[in-house]
Amino acid sequence: MENNNKPGADNLLQVCDIYKSFGDNAVLKGMTLSLKAGEVLSLIGGNGAGKSTLMKIIMGIYTHDSGKVYVDGKEMTAGKTTEALSSGVYMVPQEPLLFPNMSVEENILIGFTRPQAELHKELVDTMKSIGWNLELNRKANTLSIAEQQLVELLRGLLRHAKILILDEPTSALTFKEVESLFKVIKDLKAQGIGIIYITHRLDEVFEISTDVGIMRDGRITLMGKIEEFTKAALVKGLLPDTTDQQEVVSKTDVDYTKAPVLELQNFSGYGFKDISLKVYPGEILGVAGVVGAGRTEMAQTIFGMDKVLGGKVYLDGQDITGLSTQKVMKAGLNYVSEDRHADGIFKISSVAYNITSGILGESFMGKVFLDTKKEKELTQQYIDDFRIKVTGQDQELGSLSGGNQQKVVIGHALATGPKLIILDEPTRGIDAGARTDVYNIIKGLSKKGLAVLLISSDMEEIIELSDRAVTIHQGRLNCEFARSEINQENLTSASFGVVGKEKE
Amino acid sequence: MNSLRTLLKKREMTSFFFLILLFAVVGCINPAFLAVSNIAACFNSSVVFVIISVGMAFTIMVGEIDVSVGSCLGMTAVVVGSMICNGASWAVAFAVGILIGIIVGCINGFGVAIMKAPSLIFTLGVNGILRGLMFIYTNGADVNNIPKSFKDISAKALPGIKITYYFIAALILTIIIHLLLTKTRKGRYVKAVGDNADGAKLVGIDPVKTKFLSYIICAVMASIAGILFCSRIGIVTTSSGNGYEMTAVAACVLGGISLTGGVGSVIGSAIGAVIMSSISYLLVFMGFSSNYNDAITGSILIVIVVVDSVMQIRSRLKLRHERLQARTRDDMVTEGENA
Repeated sequence: MENNNKPGADNLLQVCDIYKSFGDNAVLKGMTLSLKAGEVLSLIGGNGAGKSTLMKIIMGIYTHDSGKVYVDGKEMTAGKTTEALSSGVYMVPQEPLLFPNMSVEENILIGFTRPQAELHKELVDTMKSIGWNLELNRKANTLSIAEQQLVELLRGLLRHAKILILDEPTSALTFKEVESLFKVIKDLKAQGIGIIYITHRLDEVFEISTDVGIMRDGRITLMGKIEEFTKAALVKGLLPDTTDQQEVVSKTDVDYTKAPVLELQNFSGYGFKDISLKVYPGEILGVAGVVGAGRTEMAQTIFGMDKVLGGKVYLDGQDITGLSTQKVMKAGLNYVSEDRHADGIFKISSVAYNITSGILGESFMGKVFLDTKKEKELTQQYIDDFRIKVTGQDQELGSLSGGNQQKVVIGHALATGPKLIILDEPTRGIDAGARTDVYNIIKGLSKKGLAVLLISSDMEEIIELSDRAVTIHQGRLNCEFARSEINQENLTSASFGVVGKEKE
Repeated sequence: MNSLRTLLKKREMTSFFFLILLFAVVGCINPAFLAVSNIAACFNSSVVFVIISVGMAFTIMVGEIDVSVGSCLGMTAVVVGSMICNGASWAVAFAVGILIGIIVGCINGFGVAIMKAPSLIFTLGVNGILRGLMFIYTNGADVNNIPKSFKDISAKALPGIKITYYFIAALILTIIIHLLLTKTRKGRYVKAVGDNADGAKLVGIDPVKTKFLSYIICAVMASIAGILFCSRIGIVTTSSGNGYEMTAVAACVLGGISLTGGVGSVIGSAIGAVIMSSISYLLVFMGFSSNYNDAITGSILIVIVVVDSVMQIRSRLKLRHERLQARTRDDMVTEGENA
């Protein structure tokens, strides 16, 4: 706020003192930033810091309450997407918004006023100059997420965007795709395009940005040239002042002489092949790998959500291969999806309804009418145990923060009394404070003797929590690590298929 | 090559072949049907349906629906018919008719596009209101003394093949609209909005405006159909146009327009309309009562929608599985992704 300077001539983008509230919830409280040509400004910050809201305001998708946005020294009208677009601002959203029934070319060229033939030529030239090869006639619904992002980027480039906003572009990309994306970003930077890069991954910040800004609580709390920062400084800037860091426990007290709770024998399905593993009571088995390695597909197939193509799954000695989801749950296995919004929550129901939603069929919840006392007890127990921040049991789930929603989802899965729980990316997209809480919950579960299969792309998470870890690379289990061997280097190299069999 | 185009072509061609097959089958059962005059009658009687189906196609392609077209047609027919009976000039009567369409379209567009009300329910309500207004306007009486000169135009036909000028005009109108939809920038926006409204917004397309305009086009087409109805049938009752919305929706779906929006063409919906309106004719030639008409229309609608939905789910699943399988192929060398 202090450098509330007039839009300088060399500032491509100038955001001055933006305020925005949704109802009572103030999301942006005096947001100020600027971007010059050729700069890559990384914005980091916990969830709810207001990054996405700010980007949507710059794009004119949301209307701000007060403050000003200047592009190239020209003041933008609040809430006008067309004006932002014509001024050269383009946002590649986290989830690419393509037209699934159109071809790649139609997707890129729609919304232009220039003649199609001229655009086509420019498109082909652009792709050639940055070395991308995308079949223009392919239908958009056959593209991978990475390819969809390329389509989005091409859209921006063809619009001669001067300011590109990339909202967590690497969250769904494989390692190789990230590399090629970074190459493109460096090219664009050299061409004098200003880029705002939103991310959760600190390594990326140091790899590609020229500037970095930390957002917390609706404003920029720290900002400067990347050279002035270290990773530790960024982490410190991100953490809420009250979070106490916990040390990693290095010993494991899992009893490996017991019979395994879950055993996979040469298990195959769509997206994974020939996987054999065992999980013991009270054990947290980390499953590492890059996004798209087939881990989620494996978990969902165990849980009866897709077809089994071969092999066996045993839960406590009982064959549960290919059973329906309902039967798998009954047998004592539950799954917490990586996509909370799509498969995890009943958004407009209360916290209590969500927690008991998986056990309404059980007789202890009442035969005809639901035993609401029981429901209240159970819900309160999870709210207390998990430190879920709610105004009451009847609060609508959609109004909770991501971290608290995730805790409710875990509670909902645990309420079914499973012997083993599969957690798929349990801390994706939740802030540092809630992350620590979720870690404590997971550790608590294993202490009680519950087996946990922890799927995570966050290596630090696997290192902190797992008693044992396996890595999956291109659908196959390629490495197993004992507690003492679990470290960043081992996991990363195995995830990218460098060890195990010679792949490269 | 272009998978979308080929698919669309396939969808339209399928309905076209279905129409020919239908004629052939009925011809086999009763060869008398295959006379030029009978075939021509099938096309000629479809004029009103072709027009409302083409209009309906707009609202379905943007991912909504308009079930008020039947009453919009009826309302226009009643007003235009009575004005002409009372000696108003045709031009004035037609202008008033089109104005009714524009007003109805604005109301639907306001409710659905701007206020974001669920389109099926909102237009159902408008349908009821319009039907009620028809009763109030006519006091329940029929409009039956429409001048012969106005009725006669509907019978004018190309000599020889007996296709009326009305049908030819409807055909030309359909083709023009098709070209506008596929060859112009704004035309493309219609399907884009139905395909992905959020995505449309991000490339500078205004989904609200596009939906609003689609509703106006749909209602104006229904009004044009109402004027033609007046001229063709020569009598307008308070139940005129009742149930036409189902026929129009069925025609669109039969012509390959997906109810989820974003897929299809007006050519397809026009072919679908010819099929739907031919059914009552065909029933007679197969020796059935035309009482079966609505039941058959409804059945066709349900069958197509169910088959379409099952096929869509299947193909989505198949695609997903193919993509996943590709990742675990044994012979996979580090994959040949882009650069």
